[in-house]
Amino acid sequence: MALTLPSGDQSSDQDNWDNGRLARKRQLLTEIVLRNRLTALVVDADTTCRVLEQLLLRSYGVQTQGVDNGRDAVTLIASGVKFNLIIIDMILPILNGLEKATRQIRDMGVHCKMLGVTACSGESERQAFLAAGVDVFIEKPLDPEHLVPILRELDG
Amino acid sequence: MDLAALKTQLKNFVQSMFEEGVLDNQFSQIQALQDSTNPNFVEEVITLFCNDAEKIINEINRNLGYQNVDFSNLDSYVHQLKGSSSSIGANRLKLACANLRQASDERNKEG
Repeated sequence: MALTLPSGDQSSDQDNWDNGRLARKRQLLTEIVLRNRLTALVVDADTTCRVLEQLLLRSYGVQTQGVDNGRDAVTLIASGVKFNLIIIDMILPILNGLEKATRQIRDMGVHCKMLGVTACSGESERQAFLAAGVDVFIEKPLDPEHLVPILRELDG
Repeated sequence: MDLAALKTQLKNFVQSMFEEGVLDNQFSQIQALQDSTNPNFVEEVITLFCNDAEKIINEINRNLGYQNVDFSNLDSYVHQLKGSSSSIGANRLKLACANLRQASDERNKEG
């Protein structure tokens, strides 16, 4: 099968830009196809972070919801909504991500995978967050390198 | 200037930001998330980030203007800015936040 490339300087520049972007997309978004319908909750007070984390999850086909404080997260889960994965920022308004929200969620008997994220990581923060009940602790930004193995594991 | 030329100029400008370390790989990830279902995503998230960052930077400046700086208050703003700048791939800004945090830890107002 012969592939005809477009000719002309202006159009090929644009095609190179688009092709480059497509190639980069394939390269960066380590493609995985999830067999199951996974759901996730993102708890992050910072809008930029929350939007990016949600979109990253959605790009893998994970159904996601987002809240911007700890109390809303606890209320949502207490209402019976089930999630396969919860991504929670260490510092949250209203109900702190570390001490209160994570512990409360675990105390409710929720055993799903919890991923603690934070802008600044130190060993003491890591220990404290793990002790509060998160399964994995990563420093922001949330990237495919960390997320994909977790999604694979949840998918079974 | 026609569209193709403008696109090239934009591409070159973004490329130079990568080379200078203003942007890092995280920004590439975000570019990769833009597709036909989210055609303006990159622009939107940048706008979102800049608006929030501006407010935080104003707060940081305000805090630093006081005779007695409340370093723990300052720290929470810097922490937030570090989080969002690292998420969007604003590498230099993230590094600046780390430096500011260090100076703040040392209660070093001059730093």
